[in-house]
Amino acid sequence: MKKFLQNKKLLSVCIVIIIIFSILGASVSLRNKRSTPLVIQSFGNDAVAVGTRLVDYPISLISGTLSNVHNLLQTQDENNYLKSRVTELQQTEARNSSLETENKQLKSALKLKESLTDFDTIEASVIARSPDSWSDLLIINKGTTSGLKKNMAVMSGGGVIGRIVEVSAASAKVELITTSDKSANRFAVEAKAVNGKKVHGIITVIGTKSLAFTQAVDGKKLKRGTKVYTSGMGGNSPKGLLIGTIAATTHDSFGLSDLLKLRPAGELNDPTVVSVIKRKVTD
Amino acid sequence: MRSLQRFVLAIALYIALVINASLALYLHDFFSLGSSTNLLLPIGIMLIALFDDTNKNEIWLALGAGIISDIYFYGIIGIYAVALPTTCWLLQKVARFLPEVFWARMLIIIIAVVGVNAYSWLILKITGVINVSALDLLWSLPTTIGWSFLFACLTYKIWGSLAIKYPFLVNLNNYQ
Repeated sequence: MKKFLQNKKLLSVCIVIIIIFSILGASVSLRNKRSTPLVIQSFGNDAVAVGTRLVDYPISLISGTLSNVHNLLQTQDENNYLKSRVTELQQTEARNSSLETENKQLKSALKLKESLTDFDTIEASVIARSPDSWSDLLIINKGTTSGLKKNMAVMSGGGVIGRIVEVSAASAKVELITTSDKSANRFAVEAKAVNGKKVHGIITVIGTKSLAFTQAVDGKKLKRGTKVYTSGMGGNSPKGLLIGTIAATTHDSFGLSDLLKLRPAGELNDPTVVSVIKRKVTD
Repeated sequence: MRSLQRFVLAIALYIALVINASLALYLHDFFSLGSSTNLLLPIGIMLIALFDDTNKNEIWLALGAGIISDIYFYGIIGIYAVALPTTCWLLQKVARFLPEVFWARMLIIIIAVVGVNAYSWLILKITGVINVSALDLLWSLPTTIGWSFLFACLTYKIWGSLAIKYPFLVNLNNYQ
């Protein structure tokens, strides 16, 4: 021990390693516990986010032009498909409108002001991504000034893609639903079984970025193609946000509980514009 | 304006960080093919260390760049905040014995890229942010090295010229 303490180089290395791990542990703990990051952290995020927005503008112009050309080539097929859906859409719109009126009347009759299905959306653009392909983190150009809060659900391409993990004044970090982060909050979900009853569970990530509906009590009653929505339980996201559809039904590695593999509905691969979901009902 | 010359490298690294973040977004489809990592900023630090191996201030610059990168990309301090200054210090030591030729520097950069990638994987794994096996890390190395080699070739002259003309916190006017 005396020899160790006399060796200044070795002692310095040990102290540096202890300091590094302390800072690392403290920052991980702060990230998970605090609803807003430290002021200095928030300033750092926003200082880089401002620069990223400036650089993003010309890059998105080039990228947008290329994507426009690609879209133009697919116009004919898209047009034919959309024509076939127009009649159906008009019918759905009419039904939706009457259901909305009926819903409002029923809510006023029950004196219900806000329910779990009520939410507002805040549109944001994705400005950056984590440099590695392992951690599923996006950075968006809206923050607390636009009303964003930690744990809000984020949608893109018609489905949920993740939730906010850190929010600064003018930017926020979004952790994708496919993240394998052990400390990530999972979505509470529900799906309608063949017998008409609701089956509840949570969304888990299995293998390499595959989604699964787990902890379902009656998972066998869910068939392939069934849509899975958020249940509004857990206090963070509203009810009725589409997560995906059931792709396959299997058992877990122990063969004890049902494992329902999901095909995500949201644009997880390349989201450029996202909607942050602000639940109206507070905890 | 002359006092700003001492901070040219810091400004250049800020721009590199911003471009790194944007490229990670727009080239995500290409990067995700081999689960590779975009190391544009660390390569900048590596090249600065190799071109200007006598300036100790650059280790502090690397530390600053690392802390800001960690805050912006992950919200966890200890990934680039450790990897960048350590790499800078090591490469400055190596640069004294290394021939000042392109290929020798590229070889060292490739070795450093493997080290930085393995360290960031280790820390992200320890903190539970990712659940990627060591085998997956090995599979991701060829593409990461490929991208890093490309970035190093493209930015070699830029970083070389900046590191020689505008060393961090050194006023070259004093020597004129």
